[in-house]
Order: sequence, then C-alpha cells, then structure tokens
Amino acid sequence: MSAAHGMVAQLARFAGALRSGGFRVGLSEEIDAAAALALVDLLDRAEVHRTLRIAFRLPRDAWDAFDRLFEEYWDGRHVPQHPALDHALERESLRPAQWRWDGQRVRLEMPDERERPEGDTPGYSPEAALRRKPFEEFSESDLAVMERLVAQLARRLATRRSRRRVPTAARGVVDLRRSFRRALASDGDFLKLARRARPLDETRLVILFDTSGSMDVYTRVLLAFAFALRRVVRRVEIFAFNTTLVRVTRMIAPGKVLRSLESLSAGVPDWSGGTRIGACLAEFVALHKDVRVDRNTVVVCVSDGLDQGDTELLERSMRELRSRAGKIIWLNPLLGDARYRPECAGMRAALPYVDHFAPAHNLDSLRGLLRLVA
Amino acid sequence: MNEQIRATQAAMERWGYVADPEIATAVYLAREMRKPLLVEGEAGVGKTEIAKVLARMLSTELVRLQCYEGLDSNTALYEWNYQRQLLRLKIAEREARNPDELEDLIFGREYLLERPLLRAITRREGPAVLLIDEIDRADEGFEAFLLELLSDFQITIPELGTIRAEHVPVVVLTSNRSREIGDALRRRCLYLYLEHPGFEKELRILRGKVPAVSEQLATTVTRFVQRLRAQPLRKLPGVAETLDWAQALVRLHRDVLDAETARATLGCLLKDEQDIKSTGEERLAELLAYAAAKD
Repeated sequence: MSAAHGMVAQLARFAGALRSGGFRVGLSEEIDAAAALALVDLLDRAEVHRTLRIAFRLPRDAWDAFDRLFEEYWDGRHVPQHPALDHALERESLRPAQWRWDGQRVRLEMPDERERPEGDTPGYSPEAALRRKPFEEFSESDLAVMERLVAQLARRLATRRSRRRVPTAARGVVDLRRSFRRALASDGDFLKLARRARPLDETRLVILFDTSGSMDVYTRVLLAFAFALRRVVRRVEIFAFNTTLVRVTRMIAPGKVLRSLESLSAGVPDWSGGTRIGACLAEFVALHKDVRVDRNTVVVCVSDGLDQGDTELLERSMRELRSRAGKIIWLNPLLGDARYRPECAGMRAALPYVDHFAPAHNLDSLRGLLRLVA
Repeated sequence: MNEQIRATQAAMERWGYVADPEIATAVYLAREMRKPLLVEGEAGVGKTEIAKVLARMLSTELVRLQCYEGLDSNTALYEWNYQRQLLRLKIAEREARNPDELEDLIFGREYLLERPLLRAITRREGPAVLLIDEIDRADEGFEAFLLELLSDFQITIPELGTIRAEHVPVVVLTSNRSREIGDALRRRCLYLYLEHPGFEKELRILRGKVPAVSEQLATTVTRFVQRLRAQPLRKLPGVAETLDWAQALVRLHRDVLDAETARATLGCLLKDEQDIKSTGEERLAELLAYAAAKD
C-alpha cells in the first residue's frame, strides 16, 4: 500500500469516527482534508491537527471534543461514543434533580418553599394585572381578556417587513432598472413606472406542546396563546405531545378556547399523562416532513423538560431540528421561578441546541416571546 | 512545519499582521487549494484584517463587499447607469438612429456600473482579494446567490452576456456568527475560527501597531485587557479596542496607568453601558493591581 493511499484510508476512518461522535463531516470535508494534508508537513503533529480543523470546518464549540477525539484516535485508543454530549454536559455543574411527586403533579422541591407573593393590586386595569398573574390563577374571564391581548401582540409577528425590496404593482419606490426596460418598449418614454417595495416577511411558527400532567396548569393558557397566534399568523403548525405526538392545528377553532380544549383532550391520547419528549420530537423530525422547517421557521417547544424517555433520542432530534430551523425557543413555565435550575436530564440534553430559553408562566413572559420571534 | 506555511507566516508579519501557525496554515491552504476562506470569531479579533494583509502581501487590489440585511444582487454585482442611458436616449431622438444600434450603444460596457463582485472578477492585472465582510448579516437568498458566483466565478448580465473571471480572486468571507452560515456555503470554504489573542501575541500586536507606546505601558495595558476578558462581560473588548486604548493613553501622555485615567478612558475598551457599570471601583482596582504586577 502506498503512503498516500494509507493516509487517505486513515483519514476516512477518522472522519467516520468524527461522524459517529456527532460531527457533521461529509464527503466534501473529507476530500478537502485529503487535499489539504497533501500540502502540509505530515510529520508535524500540530500542523496536521490545525489542518484538519480548518478543512473539516469545525466551529469553535466543537473544538474540545475534536481535540479529544484527535488525540485518542492518533494514539490508537478506542473512540468514545458521544464526546460532543459529554462536553455539553460538563459545562453545567451537575446537581441532583429536585423533583417531587405530590400525588397530583410533579413539583419542584425547594429548600425554602414559601407562599408565592401576590402580584396584582386592586384598581389596575385588568390587562395590566393579568400580565403578571401566574397562569395557575387564571379564571375563565381572565382567559377571554388574555385572548384579546395576545391577538394584539401577535399581530406584530405578521407585520414585520423584509429589508429587501421586490417588484410590486402597488406603491413603493421607483425601480429604475425595470422602469427603464419598460420605457424601451415605448421609445424611451416612461409611460408607467415600475416600483419595488418591502414584502411582508412572514415568520413560520411550529409550536410543540407538552400536554403531560406536570404541565397541566399551563397548558390551557399556553394553548390559548397558540390559538391567538394562529388567528393572526397564517403559517402556524401546532402539535401536542405527551407519550405520542398529535398534530392539532386543525382541531382548533379560533376564539373558542374551551371548546377546542375539550376536543383536544378527546383527540389527544394520554392527555395529562407522562411525557416522552425525545420520542415525540424524533417522530416530528422523521414523519412530518410536510411541515416546513427552514431558516424562516421558529420552532417553539413548550415543556418543562421532565422526560421519562430516552434523553439520547431527545438530543439527536434537537440536533436535527437545530440544523434546519432558524431559531429554537424553549419555553419552560418553571423558569418563571427564580430558584429554578434546568437540571433534569431532558432539559440538560436539549439546552445546548436552544437559542432562547425563556419563561412562560405569565403574559409578560409571552410578550418577551414575541420579541424573540419577530 | 511546512516551509511555505512558515513563509506565509513571515510574510504576514512583515505586512503588520501577527499570525500564529493556525492562521498562516489556513491562508496558505486557501490559496493553494483555491478555495474561499471563511473566518469566524468575535468582533475585533482581526478577521477583516486578514483580507487586508493578504491584499498587501500579494500587492493587489482589495475589493470589499460589506453585507447588510436587505443587500441584493443588484447592489453587489452591477447596475446600469440609468441617468446616462436616459440622457443618451434623449440625444438619440434627435439623431434618428437605428433602434438596434441604439440599444447596443446604451447597453454597452461604459454604461455599466461595476459593483464589488463584478469588479473582483473583471480585474485584469491579476487576481484581486475579494473580502465579503459580515456575510451573516445578509439574507439567506443572497447567500445562495453567492454560492453560484463562488463556484463558477462568472456572472450573466442579460444585456451583455456572460462575463467570466479573468483571474479567480482570492476570497475571504467573515462572519460574526449572528446566525449560522448555510451548509452549502460552508462546504465551499475552508474554515478558520479566530479567538482573542493570548498575552504574548496581543503584546506583539500592540507594540507593532502603536510604536509610540512605552514597553512598560504596553505590558500593563495588555495584562489589563487580558484580565478584563476573563470577566463576565456582555461585549468583550477586541484587539481593536486594546489598540484604541493604548493610542488614547499615549495621546494623554500617560506612562503609568492609574485608577483615575483608567476610569476616564474605560469607554475605549467597554462599549456597553452595563459593562461599564458592572466594572466598579473595586474591580477596577483589582484589574489595575493585576496589570501592574511583575510576574
């Protein structure tokens, strides 16, 4: 076997090891790496290392894992299963989980559990007071007020204009290029000016809802929020999940939150049961290919991350979503509690892939969401 | 180390860029493999500077395309000089010319305004250095368009036909990672990630770029900034900020750094209100003590 051939074979094995370690290293990376290695001093270990990093196009957050893999591989030791995952986990200091089952739902156990302070003062406008009111305390009439408010907030989503200008038949700035072309047809007279304007840049939303028991108190209000969004933004897809994933976009009658909720709990099996987030996300990624998830899509996952399933599956699905979506927002109602730390396994696995990790326990926090989305 | 990489490193240093082996390797590989170089990293670590130094090294023209949200291919490629074309048409009315002839005339090369990308591929004297700065700010649509250009290095103008690159330019793309660059574009490039420089490197950059600074002040300033970067800040100061700060201190004729001067000139380093506020007297004193220490 020639030296060059041996090098290529070794490179291919190394690339394979990288792939199984969770790196996105494709054939074009391998080809570039081979071409690059032919140009450098192969006896200089540091130089080979640098060259591979450049040719494999590894982003900064993958360096540590890559370095470890490089070392182990070059020393001929066994390749670990998931270096990228190990790395992500190391960043958070690990403390034991603090969840307690109180007979009805899973609760956060705090060292100094105290009464939640009352946020609302009499004499406020209902909306102002509602904004701070925790969802646990929402009544039916609160829901109606909230729907109005949310609709108003959600409109902002649908009215963001792109910075680019595209041809339009309506008003806009004069497009000289096209006007000129038109004028040629009439001997250089500008009979009608062509115009350009900024199109509406509609964000697509995919909302994935956790309807398991631990989310019960929030589900109703958060779903109401999703309904309101749907009325304003045309391109919203809503999924509910617990142990299975159900597409609920069409089960929803806008404006009738309660009735929709009833039909939902009838249509979604195991409503208020346990959760298998990983399996449900994997199903979403694998099966719902018709739901477009691209750079214009914001994926909103609403869950407390209390997963009973496979966290490795959750991690893999999150990585897949990350590579496709423009933005991933994880709303966790528990985050509204200042003492909360995302320490359960599911949440830890998902966090490295999330752009915004935000609370969703009152209307003010949902307002924050609109800012993130638009 | 490969001789040519060493030579690249030396050449970059000669032109005022302190390059560590990683940077030299990336620049060398990009040139040899004729691939664009995608440089990512925080603001102020010297991404753009790489392209500038390359242009000086190769003694060629630097063509720069600054990306922004809403940048479209017209602005990046070419535009017709409509005003001139109109004028020509009006004059032509009196001359009663043949229409075909007229069209050839007003869609000639001299009515074409070259924008950066067209300029980069039509340079005759040799390959230009094309800097596509902050590509993460442009829309994805523009990225796709760029992809086509970077693979074929030719541009089709409907009125003129296809223009092929005279010389394939040396392309450097930079990104602040405000969003992820698409996979397809990434695949076309070699990749370099720049970090904030370490103490030795930053000191060398500082001495090179601000010769007026005394040895002692340069050491103090560099130690201060290195320590400052370890603080939890919203916006870490880059090398550019270090240079600005040293420059300011030189102008103020300060040879030693005291608390009062540091406080007054902190705006050179920290460009975020909250960062300035969070750097209180106590922390400032601690930073200064660290900076002044000898070890």
